Amino acid sequence: MTAVLSTHGLIARYGDFQALYGVDTELHAGEAVALIGANGAGKSTFLRSIMGLLPVGREMVLLDGEPIGGTATDRMVQKGIAIVPEGRRLFTGMSVEDNLRVAIDQAARFGAKGGWTLTRLQKLFPILAEKARAPVQSLSGGQQQMVAIGRALLCQPRVLLCDEISLGLAPKVIREIYAALPEIRAAGTAMIVVEQDVGLAQSASDRLYCMLEGRVTLTGKSGDVTREQIGKAYFGAGHAVV
Amino acid sequence: MQWFDALVQGILLGGMYAQYALGMALMFGVMRIVNISHGDLVILLSLIGISMATAWGLAPVSVLIILVPLAVLMGWVLQKLVLNRVVGSDPLPSLIATFGLSIALQNLMLQIWSANSRSLPGHGIESQSIEIGGIYIGLLPLIVLAVATGLTWGVDLMLKHTRFGRALRAASSDVEAAAMTGINPRAVYALATAVAVGILGFAAVFQSLRSTVAPADGPAQLIYAFEAVIIGGMGAVWGAFLGSMVLGISQAIGFRIDPGFGVLAGHIVFLIVLATRPQGLFGKAST
Amino acid sequence: MSAISFATTEAPEVLVQRQTSSGRIAMTLAVLGVVAVATMPWWASTGTIRSILVLCCYIAVAQMWNLLAGYAGLVSVGQQAFMGAAGYALFVLAQTYGVNPFAAVFLSLLVPAVLAVPLYLLLHRLDGPYFSIGTWVVAEVFRLVASNLPIVNFGAGMSLRVMKDYSAFERNVAMSLLCAAMLLLTVGGSYWLLRSRYGLALIAMRDNPVAAASQGVNVAKLRFLIYVASAVGCGLAGAIYFMAQLRITPGSAFDPMWANVAIFIVMVGGIGSIEGVLIGALIFFIADRWFGEYGATYFVVLGLMTLLVALYARTGIWGLISKRWDAPWFPIRRKLVDPNRQ
Repeated sequence: MTAVLSTHGLIARYGDFQALYGVDTELHAGEAVALIGANGAGKSTFLRSIMGLLPVGREMVLLDGEPIGGTATDRMVQKGIAIVPEGRRLFTGMSVEDNLRVAIDQAARFGAKGGWTLTRLQKLFPILAEKARAPVQSLSGGQQQMVAIGRALLCQPRVLLCDEISLGLAPKVIREIYAALPEIRAAGTAMIVVEQDVGLAQSASDRLYCMLEGRVTLTGKSGDVTREQIGKAYFGAGHAVV
Repeated sequence: MQWFDALVQGILLGGMYAQYALGMALMFGVMRIVNISHGDLVILLSLIGISMATAWGLAPVSVLIILVPLAVLMGWVLQKLVLNRVVGSDPLPSLIATFGLSIALQNLMLQIWSANSRSLPGHGIESQSIEIGGIYIGLLPLIVLAVATGLTWGVDLMLKHTRFGRALRAASSDVEAAAMTGINPRAVYALATAVAVGILGFAAVFQSLRSTVAPADGPAQLIYAFEAVIIGGMGAVWGAFLGSMVLGISQAIGFRIDPGFGVLAGHIVFLIVLATRPQGLFGKAST
Repeated sequence: MSAISFATTEAPEVLVQRQTSSGRIAMTLAVLGVVAVATMPWWASTGTIRSILVLCCYIAVAQMWNLLAGYAGLVSVGQQAFMGAAGYALFVLAQTYGVNPFAAVFLSLLVPAVLAVPLYLLLHRLDGPYFSIGTWVVAEVFRLVASNLPIVNFGAGMSLRVMKDYSAFERNVAMSLLCAAMLLLTVGGSYWLLRSRYGLALIAMRDNPVAAASQGVNVAKLRFLIYVASAVGCGLAGAIYFMAQLRITPGSAFDPMWANVAIFIVMVGGIGSIEGVLIGALIFFIADRWFGEYGATYFVVLGLMTLLVALYARTGIWGLISKRWDAPWFPIRRKLVDPNRQ
C-alpha cells in the first residue's frame, strides 16, 4: 500500500540556518500520525515545508506517489492538503461565517469533492452556528481554534495537518477539540497532528514520530512506544525521563 | 449663502477625489502598496480618451465604455509585470518601482501629447446646471458625485458579498493564511489592481470633462487621493469617500477665502488631521 | 545583573581590523578629491566650478537620501522641502537682512533643523509607503506657503543681488570651499557615523529593524536623528546650490526633480553604501551632460532604469561589484584578526 503523503530526505532551511536534516515520514489513508518533540525540534517547520511555505526539493514530498515538494501553498490546498496553522491565523476583521466561507469559495473554485459542509461542521462544533455573525477576534481561544479547524476542513482535504491545536487552551476545551478528531478521521481524512502533550498525542494517533533537532529520532505504533523510548528520543540520549 | 455654496461645491469636488481615492484605498488595504503612478495613470487614460474622442468624434459615454475596460487591462498588466515582483513587507521596492514608472509615464506623455492642457469635449453637458433653492449646481459635478457614490457602494458590496471580495479581505488580513485556505494571492492582487485602475477609467473621463488635463498633472491627483485616504481613515472604502468630501470642502472653502489658498487649505486640514487624529476622522484607533 | 557573577574567560588575543588596502587607496583619493574641490579657483574655469558644484550637490543630496532610505528605512520623496527652506533662509538673511552671505549659508541651516523636528513627529505616524507621500505633501505645502508669503516676495521669487559686492574670484573661492565643506559634512560625516558606535546600530537597523530593536537599538530615536541630520544636509546643499544660482522661486526651490535625482543616483549606484552614491552621482552627472538635451526621452529612460533596478537589481551597481570583488572604498566592517596567524 502506498502512502497518501510521504517525505523523503526532507531538508529545509531559513536562510543560513538549517532546520530539517533529511526527514523521512509517511502517512497512510485514514491514518492519524502524531508528531512530537520539544520546542524548536522542527515540527512546525516540517508542516510548513510540506505546505510549500518553505522552499524544498520537488522529490522530497510525495502525494499519492507524485512529487509535489515546493508547490505554491494555494496549489497544495487544491491538491488536497490543508493545514490548521500554528497560532490559528484567522482572518481578523471578518465574521466567523465569512472566515469559513473563504474556504468554501476556494473549494468550489477548484471543484474539490468532499463531505464537509457548513451544516455538518456546525453540527460538529455548534458554537460556529451560534457565533456565525460575530467578528472572529471576539471569540475565545478554543472557539477560534474550532474556526481554524473548520476552515481547514472546508478546503475538503484528504490530508489534514494540525499544528499545536491545544496550545494555550484550557484542558476542558482541549478535550472538546480532540473529541472531534475521530469524526474527522471517519470522513476518510488522514491527519498529521503536531502536539506538545505526549499523552494526548499518543491517545489521538495510530503511529507517532518524535523529532529532535530537525531529525526523526523515534517512530512506532503509538500504543507500543514506551515512556523511556520517548524520553530518549525527545531530549536525546543521556537525559532522564520526566 | 456664500459659505453654503462653498460647502456644496466642496462636496461636488469631493466626488471627483473619491474616484481617485477609492482605488488607492483598495490597493493599500490589500497589498500595503502605494502606487506613485496612480495620478499619472488617470492622466494617461484621460489623454487617450481625449485623443479617441477627437479622432473618432466619440461622445463621453462612448469614451467611458472604451476607457474602463482599457483601464482594467492596464491595472492587470501593471500588477503582472511590476507590482507582483515588489509586493512584500518592505515598502521601498514598490515605492521606487512605481516612482520610476511615474517619471517615465509623465515624460512619455509629454512627448506624445506635448505639455498643453486639453479637455474632453462634453457636447454641452459640462455647462448645464440645475437650480436647487437658489443655488446653481452643475449637472456634470452632480453626475460625478453620483458615480463616485455608486462606485464606492459597489466596491463595498463586492468586498462584503462576493467570492472575490472575501478572498480579497482574507488576503489583506493575512496573506499566508489566505494561501493556506487555497487563495492564490497573486491572482487576487492582479484583480484588485485591475479594479482599482478600472475605477481610474471613470475618474479619467470625468476629470477631463470637468477641467483640463496636462501630462504633469498626475502628482497632484496622487496627493489628493492620498490625503483623502488618510483624512478618512484607512480600512473601509467609505472612509476614503468621506475623506474625499472633507478634502473637497476644505479646498472649496479655502478657495473662497483666497484663490491662492484653496489647495493649501486642503493640505493644512490633512496635516491637522494627521496631528490630532492619525487614524483618520472615520477610522478606528488601532489598539 | 549584580547577582550573577560571570566566569572570567581569557579573551583571545585578536586585533580589530577596520581598514583595508582598497580603503586606504580610496581614502587617499577622497582626500585628494576634496582638496581638488577646495582649490578649484586656482585650476578650473568658472564654468567648470559651476558644473562641479552641481555634482557636489547631487552627491550630498543623494547621500542624505541614502541615509534615510538605505539605513533608517524612511523613504522620503520630499527632501526638496529642506533644500528650498534653507535656500530661502539664505536669501532672506543675506538679501533682506544684510547678513554676510557666506555666514548666512551656515545660519540658514537652522531652518531645516528646526522644521525637521515637528515634521518628523507628524510624519512618522504614517505607515511605510504613506510616509513617503506625506513627505511630498510637506514639500508641496512649503512651495505653496512660499508662494503666499510676502517676506519671500510671493511666487515671483528672490534674487541674491548682494553677491555683486564680491569679485568673481572671491565668489569662486567661497563656492569651492563651501563645496568641499559640504562633501566633508555629508559624505565624510556619514562615513564617520557608520564607523562610530552608532554605525553598527544603523547597519543592524538597515538589515532588520525589528531584530535591531530587540537587540537594544533605539530604532525610533535613531530614525529621528537621521531625519533631522538629513534635513540639515539637504539644507546645506540647497543653500549652496541656490547661492550659485543667484535666484530662487517657489517652483525651483521645492522642485520634486531633486527627489528624482536622489532616488536615481542611490538606486542605480547601490543603496545602503557610500560607494554606490559616488558611482550613481557620476553616472547621473555624465548622463545629464550627454543626454540632457534629449529632454523627455532622457527622463523616460531614467524612469525606466529606476523601475528596472527596483525590480531586478535592488542592490544597484555597487551591489553587483561588491558581490564579485571584496574591495570596499569605505570599509565599515570590523574584522577580527588573530595576530599570531598572520
